[in-house]
Amino acid sequence: MTYFSFFKAECLALFYTKQRVVNALLFFVMVVVLFPLGIDPSAEFLSPVAGGIIWCAAALSVVISVESMYKESYLDGTLTQLIVSGLSLPWLILIKVGVYWGAMMLPLLLLTPVFAQMLFLPSDSLFMLLATLLLGTPGLFLIGSIGAALTVSLRQGAMLMVLLILPFYFPIIIFSTAAIKAMQLGLPYGGLLALLGAISLLALVVSPVMTSLCIKASVR
Amino acid sequence: MNWIWFHKLGSPKWFYQWSSKWALPVFSMGLLAMLVGVGWGLGFAPTDYQQGDTYRIIYLHVPAAVLAESCYLSLGVAGFVYLVWQMKMAPIFIKSMAPIGAAMAAIALLSGAIWGKPTWGTWWVWDARLTSVLVLFLLYMGIIALQNTLEDAALANQATAIVSVLGLINLPIIKYSVNWWNTLHQPASFSLTEKPAMPMEMWLPLLIAVIGFYCLVVGLVMWRMQSEILLRERRTQWVKEKVMNHGV
Amino acid sequence: MAFNSLADFLTMGTHGAFVWSTYGLVLLILASLILNTVQGRRKVIRQLKKRYLRESDS
Repeated sequence: MTYFSFFKAECLALFYTKQRVVNALLFFVMVVVLFPLGIDPSAEFLSPVAGGIIWCAAALSVVISVESMYKESYLDGTLTQLIVSGLSLPWLILIKVGVYWGAMMLPLLLLTPVFAQMLFLPSDSLFMLLATLLLGTPGLFLIGSIGAALTVSLRQGAMLMVLLILPFYFPIIIFSTAAIKAMQLGLPYGGLLALLGAISLLALVVSPVMTSLCIKASVR
Repeated sequence: MNWIWFHKLGSPKWFYQWSSKWALPVFSMGLLAMLVGVGWGLGFAPTDYQQGDTYRIIYLHVPAAVLAESCYLSLGVAGFVYLVWQMKMAPIFIKSMAPIGAAMAAIALLSGAIWGKPTWGTWWVWDARLTSVLVLFLLYMGIIALQNTLEDAALANQATAIVSVLGLINLPIIKYSVNWWNTLHQPASFSLTEKPAMPMEMWLPLLIAVIGFYCLVVGLVMWRMQSEILLRERRTQWVKEKVMNHGV
Repeated sequence: MAFNSLADFLTMGTHGAFVWSTYGLVLLILASLILNTVQGRRKVIRQLKKRYLRESDS
């Protein structure tokens, strides 16, 4: 096994189970639809909060889809294979997370303008929303990967994993929606974007190492 | 009443042979009627005195919306038939029809959005009619997701049948949403009891387009069901002969 | 014909872009639906044929 063959195998595996990605996207759509139906469908209410709604929906669908990331390979034993493959586990994890991110975020970024329009997000903030999604979601996936690895051996770990991981998502959501709001109010937003990027970069460094520790602890 | 046709319908082999005869004629007739209706509406129907020529989107929007609802109704009936009589053909029908219905709902939503921009000034509003059609689309996607996710065929059949029947509750909500709630959306263009509100020259091509869409969908669903029958009945002798004699 | 000239027909009064983009989009969706149906059938037949040939070999 090489890093490239692992990458190819991951892409293929994801392609064959593409319904899982579609399900996560459908979940995203459902959560977005809940807000106008449950609170207020008027443009006056939705327009200022649209960015926040889309961010919350994105975070929830990411945490749900990341939860099962290592489950199948844990059950069929390929996770053990990765550990003994002689390749560096953190790099393999980084590749896997990257593949997942691409498969889920590309369609989600394509869907975002549609839902921004449906939630009456002012069109000049759309660019900002997309920028925060691009900067922030790698962090969501990387942090989620730690939680998924932690709970991979538990039979009913899904709820526990969501409880563990969502608090770590709060800063990313807060800075993202703050940046969108700052832009709408005409305030400087560069610092907020920089913070968002810093969180994702930190997660990029820490997460693969932590995830591999968790996987090694779970697989015996 | 003679129930033989009903029992025959339960036999995949009989349906395959029967539909092989009818799928192509029905499909091509539908395509023709659709082209005639849409072409007539696009080029020859009179201009609307309020909306100008923008209203010509109606010749796609209304047929797709009617079909999206009818397709779901048929899913619900098939689901009921499966739950009561365990008829083999019902889940095949549901599986073949769900993607078509989803496409119809998508067309209705998209054409409605593009129509809404110049007439209402917005792509989308969260009004009852639009939202319930969005929910209809999500129901279709849910059924498709269920079929693709569940690996156990018997469980998948049962589950999709149940969801199809449950989703029927959405149909009256769509149908009467324009009457029950104050919405931007105009009332129905078709009614069995009342005279159409629009002039005959506008209404007739619309009717032809709707009939065309119906035939198109029936033809398509027959083709899809045939593929599904081949796949599910692959252990029988007649499928084997059919496939081996087929040149691909 | 409801239009006086070809230019009128193409602009649809005022909102030609909206009307024609709808028609294009619907054409795209219907074409992909039909294509998907035809391809699905081909795939099933190819798959089954391979399977039968393999079975008769063994």
